[in-house]
Amino acid sequence: MSLAARHLEENGIATLVMGCAKDVVEYCGVPRFLFSDFPLGNAAGRPKDPRSQAFTLELALRVLEAAPAPRTTVQSPLRWSADPSWKLDYSNIARLSEEEIRLRRDEFDRQKEIARRIREPPARAK
Amino acid sequence: MSAHDNLGFAPKEDAPIPYMQRIRDYYLALGYPTPYRWAHYAEAPFQPLEKPLAQCRVALITTAAPYQPSKGDQGPGAPYNAAAKFYAVYSGESAVDHDLRISHLAIDRAHTTGEDANTWFPLAQLRRCAAVGRIGEVAPHFHGMPTNRSHRTTLEKDCPELLARCREDRVDAAILVAN
Repeated sequence: MSLAARHLEENGIATLVMGCAKDVVEYCGVPRFLFSDFPLGNAAGRPKDPRSQAFTLELALRVLEAAPAPRTTVQSPLRWSADPSWKLDYSNIARLSEEEIRLRRDEFDRQKEIARRIREPPARAK
Repeated sequence: MSAHDNLGFAPKEDAPIPYMQRIRDYYLALGYPTPYRWAHYAEAPFQPLEKPLAQCRVALITTAAPYQPSKGDQGPGAPYNAAAKFYAVYSGESAVDHDLRISHLAIDRAHTTGEDANTWFPLAQLRRCAAVGRIGEVAPHFHGMPTNRSHRTTLEKDCPELLARCREDRVDAAILVAN
C-alpha cells in the first residue's frame, strides 16, 4: 500500500495511508500516514464501534488536508486495550513451542504453494 | 523497585510493535534464512491538496478481497487463506455495498477476527463524510490493490494500473487502508 501511495502522489494525487504497522510504513516512506496502534486488520477503527471508526476516518481526513510535509505520521490517540500485552503475541517466536514452529512451517509452505498456483496458472495443455 | 517506577512511564512493551524485527526473527526460526526485503526509500513525494477537501473527489483503496464462496474459509475468524488472494487490481462501485474480506492477509488473528469490515474498508463512513460535505464526493469507484510479494510486480504493473483507474475517475485524493 505504501508503494501505491507513493506512486499516486508522484503523479499528482494526494494520498493518506491508514495503517497499524508503524515501522513498515515509515521504513518505506509515505506522504501522510495515520497510525492506529491496533492489531493488524483494524486500520480504520475498532470493530463494531461506529464512533471509533468515525473518529479514525475524521482524523485521517485532517491529516490529509493539514500535513505540512511528506513522511507526516499522526498516531491516533485511541487505545486498543488498557493492557498492552496483546502486542507481545504477533509472530513472536519466543512464545511458540518447537511443535508449533514445525506446524507453522508446514502451513506456510502449503499456503505458499496455493498462492503460487493462483499467481502462475499451469500452461494449457497443447 | 527500579528508579523509573514512579515516573509515570508506560511499560516498555507498550510501544508500536516492531513488525520488521518480529517477522525477520519468525521466518528465520521457521527455517527461511533469506530475510524479506522491505520496500525502503530515503525520500517521499508530496502533492499538497490543491483545493479544500470539501471540494475534493476522494477514492478509497483497499487490500481486501471480494468474498468468493468457492475459495474456502474467509472469515470471520478464518485462518490465513492464500486461496482468497488476488493478483490484479480490481474496482467496484462506491455507491453500493460490497462484501470484502481479509482472510488472505497477515492480520493479527490472535486479537481480531475480521468480523466488521468497517475496520478495514471504511466506504460507508466515507460516504457519510460526503453526505455532510466534509469531502466533496466519494470517487465513483474504489480499487483493490494486490499484495504481491514481488515489489517489481507492484511497482511495474499494479501501481500504474491503479493510477490509470484513479485518473479515469479524476480523483483529487486517495485514502489507502493497509492491512
